[in-house]
Amino acid sequence: MELKDQIRINAPRQRVFEALNNPAILKQAIPGCESLEATSPTDFTAVVAARIGPLAARFTGSVSLADIEPPVRYTLSGEGKGGPAGFAKVKAAVELEDDGQATLLNYSVKADIGGKLGQLGGSIVDRTAQKLAGEFFQQFDALITLPPGSEADAAATDETSSDGPARAARAGIGPLWWGIAAAMALLLAWLALK
Amino acid sequence: MSANPDNQKSWMGTRLPRKEDLRLITGQGKYVADIVLPGMLHAVFVRSDYAHARLVSVDVSAALEAPGVVAVITGEEMKTQCRSLRQPVLLPNLPAKYPTYYGLAVDKVKFHGDPVAMVIARDKYQAVDAAELVVVDYEELPVVLDPEAALAPDSPRVHEEEADNLMFEMTFTGGATDEDRAKNAAEVERIFQSADVVVKERFRVHRTGTTPMETRGVLADWSASDGLTVYNTTQRPHIDRLAFADILDIPAEKVRVIAPRDMGGGFGLKAPFYRESVVVAYACRKLGRPVRWIESRYESLMNIGQERGQINTLEVAASKEGKLLALRNRGIADVGTGQIGVYWGFVMPFLGAVEMPNAYTWEAGDTDLRVIFTNKACLTPSRAFGHFPTRFAVERAVDIVARKIGMEPSDLRRRNLVPRLPYTSVTGEYYDSGDFLKVWDNLMSQVDLPGFRREQAEARAQGKYLGIGFGCGVELSGVASELMVPMENQPGYGAATVRIDPRGKVFIMGGDAPGGQGHETTISQIVAATFGISPEDTIITTGDTGTTPFGSGTIGARMGSYFASAVRKACDELREKMTHVLAHDLGIRATMEEFAFTDGEIVYQRDPSKRKGFREIAERIVMFPINLPEGEVGGLETTAFFEAAKPMICFNADACVVEVELATGQFKVLRWLTSEDVGNVINPMIVDGQMHGAIVQGLSNAIFEEFIYNDQGQQMTADFEHYKLATAADMPDIKVTYASTPCPHTPLGTRGIGEGRPSAVPGALCNALVDALVPFGIEITELPIRPSVLWQKLKAAGAV
Repeated sequence: MELKDQIRINAPRQRVFEALNNPAILKQAIPGCESLEATSPTDFTAVVAARIGPLAARFTGSVSLADIEPPVRYTLSGEGKGGPAGFAKVKAAVELEDDGQATLLNYSVKADIGGKLGQLGGSIVDRTAQKLAGEFFQQFDALITLPPGSEADAAATDETSSDGPARAARAGIGPLWWGIAAAMALLLAWLALK
Repeated sequence: MSANPDNQKSWMGTRLPRKEDLRLITGQGKYVADIVLPGMLHAVFVRSDYAHARLVSVDVSAALEAPGVVAVITGEEMKTQCRSLRQPVLLPNLPAKYPTYYGLAVDKVKFHGDPVAMVIARDKYQAVDAAELVVVDYEELPVVLDPEAALAPDSPRVHEEEADNLMFEMTFTGGATDEDRAKNAAEVERIFQSADVVVKERFRVHRTGTTPMETRGVLADWSASDGLTVYNTTQRPHIDRLAFADILDIPAEKVRVIAPRDMGGGFGLKAPFYRESVVVAYACRKLGRPVRWIESRYESLMNIGQERGQINTLEVAASKEGKLLALRNRGIADVGTGQIGVYWGFVMPFLGAVEMPNAYTWEAGDTDLRVIFTNKACLTPSRAFGHFPTRFAVERAVDIVARKIGMEPSDLRRRNLVPRLPYTSVTGEYYDSGDFLKVWDNLMSQVDLPGFRREQAEARAQGKYLGIGFGCGVELSGVASELMVPMENQPGYGAATVRIDPRGKVFIMGGDAPGGQGHETTISQIVAATFGISPEDTIITTGDTGTTPFGSGTIGARMGSYFASAVRKACDELREKMTHVLAHDLGIRATMEEFAFTDGEIVYQRDPSKRKGFREIAERIVMFPINLPEGEVGGLETTAFFEAAKPMICFNADACVVEVELATGQFKVLRWLTSEDVGNVINPMIVDGQMHGAIVQGLSNAIFEEFIYNDQGQQMTADFEHYKLATAADMPDIKVTYASTPCPHTPLGTRGIGEGRPSAVPGALCNALVDALVPFGIEITELPIRPSVLWQKLKAAGAV
């Protein structure tokens, strides 16, 4: 599966860069994220719980960053294991550029999804993942454009991150695909993490 | 016995409705999943998500804590507590690399779906939930997927203990020594050098096969005194019995295998001995409680029913007059892991290579085959065992030759059909009897070819593309010991026990295990015709090793050839005894031939007033064995074995008409016509059904079905949304006709039919599609053939 897109974020590049370095914000933006920890400056682990149709899965992921050129670009490779649900392997590249007072975030992702998750169906996975990746960035955008000072509060009090399926349902997306999207959003978050 | 008007009939050749259908269509069938034993536990397998990975650890601690869980079995336990499946009783007498493997994966997983652990719980839901708690740590390894690339010296190996991925290699022509083969190859090369016409194509056939309605199921029961009883969805219970004994180290007399009377289809894929059965049986012995595993559809599509999967690079040399001179083939089969007892995945392509020459009189041949390990599920037998791909290649190549020399493909076929039997093919296959030309001429007499060509031209003028295609197939009618012993290390003979009880009812016991083919009906017709009784007076038992004589299984069209013949032989032995006693009682000297078995009576034909009821004479011999002729004893039961001196065949020829829509590549099969030599027919309705099913399977395999592995070795077609089967609406009207020659080598003149039958289908179909699109010069060399593929070809040819 391949994803490629450009996201416009309503904040200057420096601020986007800082936010991308804020695990609290990322943890909130990733639906179902239970933990997000740095094990070294370039290695991270995360746990995301998701319900994917008949499969209740807890994805355990690890990711490594490389070719870091702050605050312009980097690449990452990572892997998420969802136990009986299957697994995902990802390679991605991200690049930030100024757009007036805003920032353009370009990303491209190549993911191999395996196990039962991968067998659910190809084209619909691509489309839904793309759509929900957009939602992740919308949430990210909303969080970093909050007035300065409220970030920490938001990080401490926002409960929506554990409410992923409900939000997905409101957006008209079935819980089956929400789970895949959650995994994808996680991968994209790793991609943004530095 | 009261006069039953039915008894007046000759039961042979009668369209008798199937005896088993009443119970099957009223929900009275009893399949393995309907068998419930007290205290029965339920097993679920944990299977690999990876195509190739090292098993770093298998942590079952959380699963063991889960509600209802009784045990979790891992590969390490299987390896230490049981023998491997590489047991002599499961090994063919052919030189191949036979991987050593156990009930569960040890050290490595080798395909997506490889069983890693088995969870046993009090109910199935608990087992499923607990299976998700087994934590397997995999270390991924590079995957081996392309069989040709797998031969590279630096390729990763599926089985690391082997030197390379080449499982099996054989040349099928030219003799036994390297020198003879080299001489033959040079001779074939000389024919190719001087031939008027040479055709060379690479024919690829995808992975596809069969998907029975009933998946696999195993229920094992252990008793300290009686040993192991296994209810298993199997086509060959007697072989399974020996395999269980050897692998689990249980004396064979303490193992009984029962193939339930009702099985929802076998098609070959219930013929291997499977590793899952071993784990279930082991667990049942370990726990001292019955354990049952019912395969899910997901597991079934991941593990079994995958056949075909060959690339045949075929060259054909012919004269400009349309005489086929020589064939040269380089075959490659993508076998997967090669881990399936009895067949090891390569026996099918082996036989496919043997059967490649088909019904044509090639003057010479140079054919070989390489079978290559990959990280995919092992090929499993599927009806049209091994030769769906080779037959596709030959039937297509013959058409390409015909077109090249400007001859009607049907004329070229007739010109090259073996004119007289017996005949031995260039690969050494023996064709015992029949009349290929009679079958062919019967087909063509129903096809108005000049008329069709006119219709085709007129349709083309209106932008409508019609095509006609032909194909034919020599198929095995049972598998003689001569082939079975080397190929599968098993005998080919048929065996039947026939017992007549004091009430005149006839019990027939057979060791093969049918899967819905209507054996009860067919056998009852043979017995009724032989004894002059009603089919209702017969009781057939199959598949229970405790009560039936040894049989190699319901495989390879053994019913009409071997089992039916053994039944007839046993019946004749009892007729001999009954007439001997009757003549003695009547005070006459008479042979069996002088008596008629008719309408429930045995009648002395020279004096019809001398007669006795079938039941009376049965009762007299079984219950009142006094005043018998000298040397005779009481009782009416015998076991007979049947084996023909040489292998036997059946034959068919097909014609079909298709219409292709240029703009989309959509095509429709409009008509399918067959001509069959099935020998003497026992029940035409059952034979028709076999042919209908075979053609539907052939079309479904060729057009719709395909097992797909992605570039990571992930199997992407594990449900019926992705593994698409044909539906009734996709199928043409099928007309089956007969031009039979009674088989001179069976007591009833019958032939075994149906097993190889789908193989003529893909060639005939694609020949028709190519014929429809002749103006655009399109060739089809790969399956599946789909509208999208055809459209791409039409686009490339500038037709759209």
